[in-house]
Amino acid sequence: MATTQTEEPVSSPPADARLPMTGVRVIDVGTFLAGPYAASILAEFGAEVLKVEHPIAGDPMRHFGTATKRHDATLAWLSEARNRKSVTLDLHQKRGIELFLQLVAKSDVLIENFRPGTMESWGLSWDVLREVNPGLVMLRVSGYGQTGPYRTRSGFSHIAHSFGGLSYLAGFPGESPVTPGTSPLGDYVSSIFGAIGILVALRHKQKTGRGQVIDVGIYEAVFRILDELPAAYGLFGKVREREGSGSFIAVPHGHFRCKDGRWVAIACTTQKMFERFTQVMQRPELNSSSMYGEQAKRLAARDEVNAIVNEWTGSFTRDEVMKLCIDGEVPVGKLNSIQDIFEDEHFKFRGNLVELEDDGAGKVTVPGVVPRLSETPGRITNLGPPLGDSTYEVLIGLLGVSAEEIADLRRRRVV
Amino acid sequence: MNKENDLPLAGIRVIDVATVIAAPFCATLLGEFGADVIKVEHPVGGDTCRAFGTPTKRKDTLTWLSEARNKRSVTLDLHHAEGKRLFKELVAQCDVLCENFRPGTLEKWGIGWEALQEINPRLVMLRISGYGQDGPYKDRPGFARIAHAVSGIAYLCGMPRGTPVTPGSTTLADYMSGLYGCVGVLMALRHRDETGRGQYIDLGLYESAFRCSEELAPAYAMYGTVRERKGPHIEVACPYGHFPTHDGKWVAIACTTDKLFARLADAMGRPELASSVVYGEQKTRIASRDEVNEVVRDWCGSLNREELLKRCYDAHAPVGPINNIADIFGDRQFHARRNLVAIDEPTIGETVIVPNVVPRLSETPGRIKRLGPKLGEHTAEVLGELLGLDAAAIGDLRKQRVI
Repeated sequence: MATTQTEEPVSSPPADARLPMTGVRVIDVGTFLAGPYAASILAEFGAEVLKVEHPIAGDPMRHFGTATKRHDATLAWLSEARNRKSVTLDLHQKRGIELFLQLVAKSDVLIENFRPGTMESWGLSWDVLREVNPGLVMLRVSGYGQTGPYRTRSGFSHIAHSFGGLSYLAGFPGESPVTPGTSPLGDYVSSIFGAIGILVALRHKQKTGRGQVIDVGIYEAVFRILDELPAAYGLFGKVREREGSGSFIAVPHGHFRCKDGRWVAIACTTQKMFERFTQVMQRPELNSSSMYGEQAKRLAARDEVNAIVNEWTGSFTRDEVMKLCIDGEVPVGKLNSIQDIFEDEHFKFRGNLVELEDDGAGKVTVPGVVPRLSETPGRITNLGPPLGDSTYEVLIGLLGVSAEEIADLRRRRVV
Repeated sequence: MNKENDLPLAGIRVIDVATVIAAPFCATLLGEFGADVIKVEHPVGGDTCRAFGTPTKRKDTLTWLSEARNKRSVTLDLHHAEGKRLFKELVAQCDVLCENFRPGTLEKWGIGWEALQEINPRLVMLRISGYGQDGPYKDRPGFARIAHAVSGIAYLCGMPRGTPVTPGSTTLADYMSGLYGCVGVLMALRHRDETGRGQYIDLGLYESAFRCSEELAPAYAMYGTVRERKGPHIEVACPYGHFPTHDGKWVAIACTTDKLFARLADAMGRPELASSVVYGEQKTRIASRDEVNEVVRDWCGSLNREELLKRCYDAHAPVGPINNIADIFGDRQFHARRNLVAIDEPTIGETVIVPNVVPRLSETPGRIKRLGPKLGEHTAEVLGELLGLDAAAIGDLRKQRVI
């Protein structure tokens, strides 16, 4: 599929630039995001990613989210299946398995996220895979990981946020816990951990020639990033509860409503910042030691302090609050909707939104590559591919399958 | 278990001159897989992360003990000419430098990218800041809280039309940036090994959170859809959300497909709900969202959580507990996976429980050698080992308050 960039992204290396992952071949046989997003990251930095999909159904992510003019691609698919080649293979059929193993033999990385035991039931256990390719690095992402009593339970990001302790903390005290911002957060976080595992394992392979398995439960990726939550319970029995828009660390530190009904985030983590904020509010007396001049006092009088801040923000529009706080060097940010983001000059400047032309779907704007590397910036070569767009190329070019056999495989729905 | 120098990042030396969690977390991850991480801190007070969260007997907080794991602490005053000189000598001998000062700060001190690259052309430098190294907002102070707001993730968190809430944890964007930063560093190290040339990685805190918003941006660009807060629910599936059980606890349910809903209906003992004339199809359930949620809510409210979960697991329904940290400490899966590690910390005379290394590698698993060091604990050791300074020289530097 030919996609052309209609707008110059910030990071566009010359076409022949050697990227860090150039020459690395990745098979992504996963579905949705948890795991496959690791392949997207590697592909942005030069890896060749072969998305292996069922010949009829394809990755269900193709149908998840908002539809486009392409019958086989939602917007989520177009954006997150970026930089891939789609190869169809039915892993329930013997010939499908044979061809899959041949692909594995010629690849560096394999990414999967089936329920633990599934690949084994197809005869694709780690022992078998390692035999055809001793240097293989395999990322396995699942809800609960490859081991433990819950390993075969179905686990999605939503369940993993809950099981991993994050959802319990999102929402107002005593009220319903809410989604921690975006429902696939755990899918992304587990994939980034997975990408780190792959890069570390590839380094080990370079030294020793030996591959290995990276085993990530989505819940443990979520649980790993909760700062002192386990340590504080372990040592002091402290059970952190939902904190609404605030934080146990500091006050005022939260979301405040402005006169025009829009919101800002303000974060006075240190004494100096609170002092500046009282000057911005023209209420320097609030910073006196008899009032709220110490973090401990503000934490104890959280509701009172927040009420004062809300009253102040409520007397200005969001733009006014932003200007006053920025001029006074108070940490502040607009609580952006996606509309705000599209209008924001900083997003524009940093190239965080990239517009690409897709043959079938037309112009599509997607998030740009993160992180930004100075010498070898990543790039988006194409949006989510049509089902099986590279089956011929890969089977003929890489595996040497004859055109006659491919026709036969098509008839038998193996590819 | 593997030997120390068999770890994948053995032989990589990292200087972490950053503060709190964002860029330091990248160094933490590298340290878990064998890199030698030298934490460079101001001689007075050190990294502000030492004061972030719940203090222990030795003042350093639990966050510090957990997240500064495996690091060696060296004090150096970078405002001091002699401090700068020593810092440059350290950088000359390291592979990676992690920093998250406000853009321009290191340049002001004469130790920006240009200067350091001259000293060490193989250097890989991670630079994390609120808004990145360029752009109109680059000079604004940025914390994870602000990054959540700017990235659009806080806007989506909370009940419809209610106050937007913290997306679970106030440090989320810090961790996500540390993770992305680590990906960048490992890529840049590959490139360096091939070409001999280092580079820097430029990351804004807000960018890491924004990158994880799936089709939020494409849907606005194509259809003008502005996604709003949905509480615990999502637009494209039902039932999907959080439901209270009879004993006042909560469960999460996620029926993203019809098959999963059929399993839930089985668990409820009401398979008829999954017939095509009732709620068998996703679009019917979405159209009658309130009714469906009420049926599920009534059922959840009739059972204690443990009983409800048992029925759901038996039917393979997509349900899980909304765990608080006490639930987690009692959970078999966390123990079977060894997600919690108890480490004896002699400096406070206590056992501290911290999250184990993620991800788990089969041949070269990461490890926690020790918890966060005391301020300057390794100053003499590191300056002796790397720069050949003897006790007299170090005593001298102490007198001058350089270290």
